[in-house]
Amino acid sequence: MTTTSDIETYIVRTGLGDRTAFSSLYDATSAKLFGVCLRVLNNRAEAEDALQDVYVRIWQKANSYAVNGYSPMTWLITLARNLSIDRLRARKAPAKNIEDVLDLADSGPTPEAAAVQKSERAQIDGCLDELDTVHASAVRGAYLEGDTYQDLADRAGVPLNTMRTWLRRSLAKLKDCLSR
Amino acid sequence: MTQTGDHNEDDIVLVGEYALHLLDAASRLAFEERLLDDAGLRQLLREWDEGLVSLADGIAPVAPPPRLKGAIEARLFEAPVKRGFTFGALFGRRGVALGFVALIAVGILFSSNLLERPQGPTYLAEIAAEDRGLVVEARFDPAAGEIGINRIAGAAVTGRVLELWLIAEGAPGPVSLGVLPTSALAVVSVPEALRTAMIGGTLAISDEPLGGSPTGAPTGAVLAVGAVTSS
Repeated sequence: MTTTSDIETYIVRTGLGDRTAFSSLYDATSAKLFGVCLRVLNNRAEAEDALQDVYVRIWQKANSYAVNGYSPMTWLITLARNLSIDRLRARKAPAKNIEDVLDLADSGPTPEAAAVQKSERAQIDGCLDELDTVHASAVRGAYLEGDTYQDLADRAGVPLNTMRTWLRRSLAKLKDCLSR
Repeated sequence: MTQTGDHNEDDIVLVGEYALHLLDAASRLAFEERLLDDAGLRQLLREWDEGLVSLADGIAPVAPPPRLKGAIEARLFEAPVKRGFTFGALFGRRGVALGFVALIAVGILFSSNLLERPQGPTYLAEIAAEDRGLVVEARFDPAAGEIGINRIAGAAVTGRVLELWLIAEGAPGPVSLGVLPTSALAVVSVPEALRTAMIGGTLAISDEPLGGSPTGAPTGAVLAVGAVTSS
């Protein structure tokens, strides 16, 4: 089983130009990152293109990994999510099939991911629970689906500025809770 | 443990908005400019990213189509992607007679001192050219996930390299295990995902440009082949 420290080693070695390590990194992480791309883009062909961009970027940026202080899966997932959202923003967003999105979410994390992230997971969930339900689901929508302020306002049926004010206030509380 | 004491609430919220990708393009760009010069801001972003990432826990892994990996490697390591590569095509197209494969020399080998690994079972292959112009002994240690290489005859021609490939049973094509160094003795690390496939697989060595095959599949002549057998 691939451990967090294996993944870290693969990233560091990839940063040194080790193609074998890059190949191992891909084998160990591509399914999770493809899941992230699919979740954000909700379109298989686009998610495939995004995943290619993600690993090209990983290869190019891995040499800066050692000094950036990120845990390995955070670095990878954040990169995959950011590139997917960039791609999402570059197109006119089609209607999302909410059932597909739920399907993907329902299968749950792999046991190892769950084990690694368990304490953090409880923390983010606990912190979101402290927020107003609408605000908490706005944070989830922004993170998991790349929703913009406008998307979130439309969904909640409130003006854009209201959503912005709500969410900014909630983000201050959320950060406070996450740092506790 | 809060690490954000130096930052005011505006920045804390701004970094959160950036992390969630809520800023418009112009604000995002402006923020990234600041990020370059401000280690404290980068620290804050890291805290946000680490805090939020657990939201992705519920996202189930989905295996990407197998062709993507080759496409990525082709993009990175230059040159066009080759698709639909098959075992037959590998040997046929390069003008190497298929009979060549049948003449694979398989032998029980005695390892050199460097390759000696006392613990656990090991697997051996003699990767040899038909005329024995190139002979490489390979000793695979599944526990370490490493192949000890001993090149006993032949070498890459000037300006070219030797690349090692694994052809797993039932696999659609060879998978690169890397370029062999110019030294006669070497250790090649086998990716975890390929270790099981090593046993009963076939190793091949091809002639490639410096840096190895740019396509993820052999591009030069296949010089030597050998099956992996238990010791």
